Amino acid sequence: MHEPAGAMWLLAGAVACAFAGMAWLALSMPAHARQVWGGEPPPARLRLLRPAGAAGLAASLLLCLRVDHATIAVLVWLMALSAAAMAVAMLLATRPHWLRVAVPWLRGRAADGS
Amino acid sequence: MALAHAPAPASAPASQQDHPRLALVARIGAAVLGGYGFAWGLVAAATSLLVAAGMGFHDAEFLASLVGVLAMLCAFLWAIAARRLWRVWAVLAGGGALLAGVGSLVQAVLG
Amino acid sequence: MFTTFRQAMAWLHTWFGLVLGFVLMAAFFFGALSVFDREFDRWAIPATRIEPQPMPSYERVLRPAFERMQPTRAAVDAMRGQVDGPMPARFDTVAYWSAYTTHRDPVVALFAGYEVPNARHAGEQIYAEATVDPRDGRVLPDDRLKVGSGFFYPMHYGLTLDWKNLGIWIVGFSALVMLAALASGVVMHRRLFREFFTFRPGKARLRSALDLHNLTGVVALPFHFFFALTGLLIFAATYYFPLGHTQLHELHDRAAAIEAQQTGLPHQRAGVAAGLADVDAMVAQARQRWEDKGKAGDVGFLVLMHVGDANGYVSVYRAGTDRIALVGDGIHFKASSGELIREDPPATAVARMAEFLTGLHLQHFRHWLLRWLYVLGGLAGAVCIATGFVFFVEKRKRQHAARGSQGARVVDALAVASVTGMALATLGILVANRLLPEDLAARGDWEQRAFWTTWVLALLHAAWRSAPVALGLPNPAWREQAWAISALAIAAAVLNWATTGDHLLRTLASGYWPVAGVDLALLAVSAIAGLVAHRLRLRSRVRAAQAHAAEPRHA
Repeated sequence: MHEPAGAMWLLAGAVACAFAGMAWLALSMPAHARQVWGGEPPPARLRLLRPAGAAGLAASLLLCLRVDHATIAVLVWLMALSAAAMAVAMLLATRPHWLRVAVPWLRGRAADGS
Repeated sequence: MALAHAPAPASAPASQQDHPRLALVARIGAAVLGGYGFAWGLVAAATSLLVAAGMGFHDAEFLASLVGVLAMLCAFLWAIAARRLWRVWAVLAGGGALLAGVGSLVQAVLG
Repeated sequence: MFTTFRQAMAWLHTWFGLVLGFVLMAAFFFGALSVFDREFDRWAIPATRIEPQPMPSYERVLRPAFERMQPTRAAVDAMRGQVDGPMPARFDTVAYWSAYTTHRDPVVALFAGYEVPNARHAGEQIYAEATVDPRDGRVLPDDRLKVGSGFFYPMHYGLTLDWKNLGIWIVGFSALVMLAALASGVVMHRRLFREFFTFRPGKARLRSALDLHNLTGVVALPFHFFFALTGLLIFAATYYFPLGHTQLHELHDRAAAIEAQQTGLPHQRAGVAAGLADVDAMVAQARQRWEDKGKAGDVGFLVLMHVGDANGYVSVYRAGTDRIALVGDGIHFKASSGELIREDPPATAVARMAEFLTGLHLQHFRHWLLRWLYVLGGLAGAVCIATGFVFFVEKRKRQHAARGSQGARVVDALAVASVTGMALATLGILVANRLLPEDLAARGDWEQRAFWTTWVLALLHAAWRSAPVALGLPNPAWREQAWAISALAIAAAVLNWATTGDHLLRTLASGYWPVAGVDLALLAVSAIAGLVAHRLRLRSRVRAAQAHAAEPRHA
């Protein structure tokens, strides 16, 4: 196991990657994209979000594996995924426009009043 | 599977139509008791067969209980969903008894 | 009985989910609390608010404590009926002494078993326990209820219903039903992936309750499934499928005899007295051997078998803090000489799988993020069940109102009792723990009475206030109990300060997280409950205004 300080940053990174990954997966769905941007960004850009999301989740797993023994790391990863998905869902339900920070390079078709 | 049942054939036991509450209790009984009996038998057979195959007793006991729990889950779901209750009883109670018998037989042979 | 598989699964999910849901709420909620059971213990027993220590020295700390231990008078009286002849004044034939500690325990738990002379059943043993301060061996009063590990934890796996292990069976059955509910839920949920992130709180209560139910169920599905499954597995061989002691006991006994032969660890005393070599040296040697194998670690469990006998041996087990599996890595020494008898061989594949599955549930590992994520998962499960109740009532209350049926009302009252009521009972025991006099006899029993009384009162309140549900309206008890939770949670935190002086600023400043954590959690609960109560009141005001506005039209 890494020394405590390094471990904390790596785990924070893993949680952040899990969140980003889940956010991208959510936003790749037109219904949620509409919630976040008002309009729909170009479908080509949206489609890229799905593999990006998967990559984010994979990066999260790799960071977890750097911190702990494999058996613990996988559990941390799975639980982090659940927490991240829950957080994304809650944001979509209450403050969807906050999720724009997860995809800063995209603007919705609607007038950019962000 | 999606087609609605035609009115129960004449050979169906009258209790199923006339006493829906009894049918419900019987169904739940089959799922719970029948499911448990089947799982018990499976654990007995699996444990003794694994020991016969050379596995340590505690290892065999654990692996068999894993199989038993999952089997009880499947038995439970099937018992609720199955069309004919008599089939459920036959498989779960009958099968469970048979498997338990296998377990005792193997134990006796090994002893 | 059903035309389609999906219909059958929907029926199963609804009705078994409803009935066993009340038990599952307790299992999930107290399970979530049990993740931090030792921390609750320290909050509840201020004398133990010290830092966790590694396993202390045998010679300096443990031996004096062991030698002083004896069974309680109650235990001796209970054993009297099993003995032909007088009970000895002191039990001196020690079957075993053992010491157990974890990285979260500030105290060491000691256990002893003694042979009972003249017992009717051969091999009858009588037991003693003690809790010891590892720094100096001082025995701590054992009559304090360990609210976390001694109440919340047994509550979650057995409802503290010990008669014939009935509680363990009920929780076990509810775990099976949980697995069935998860499977049937997946079958019923047609848009599992499309609605993975969907929660629409603005929509009608029925829809938003269902959204939240689906969300909390699906997003943590692996967690819910594996916890129900591993929980069942932990108790399977002992309680649910005890074949080793019944149908297959011959196989079991044969295997035990062979194991005793192979390991060289004697089952019985030799009847010849012998001394005890340096145990601390044995422990040091064990730790060295672990380190040589790349598995450096602390001692989690120390056992001395057949104390004072030539067959005596000492077993040193490693605390599994860095991986999921409950690693034992036991190393065994001959007690009289200190020579090595056996190093436990690496576990078989099946044993490793068993250790992983049970370790996943029992959480001996040191990993604070994972522990908090487990709490989140447990609370998600509780929310899933609670929203299930809400959905059930919402769906039916108008129909029941039209028919004059009381069904929805009864379910709603029970739901209030098992959701807000259970939270109130939990706060009730914490408050009682701080309010009761320190030297009260059987204090732990009174604390438990406070718990159950609070729960019963919550149920009565919920029932009394539930009349509107029979008219298709919400039960005001939800809001009222939310206020009560908010008030009681603050009270508990303030009482901790008032009775121990350990207020939040002090515990945060000194970094004493167990107590700070509980206090912070209490404050958070208070805030959330207050917010919920506030929202519910706003909603009821809106509804009352709408009803009022609609009235003149009826004239």
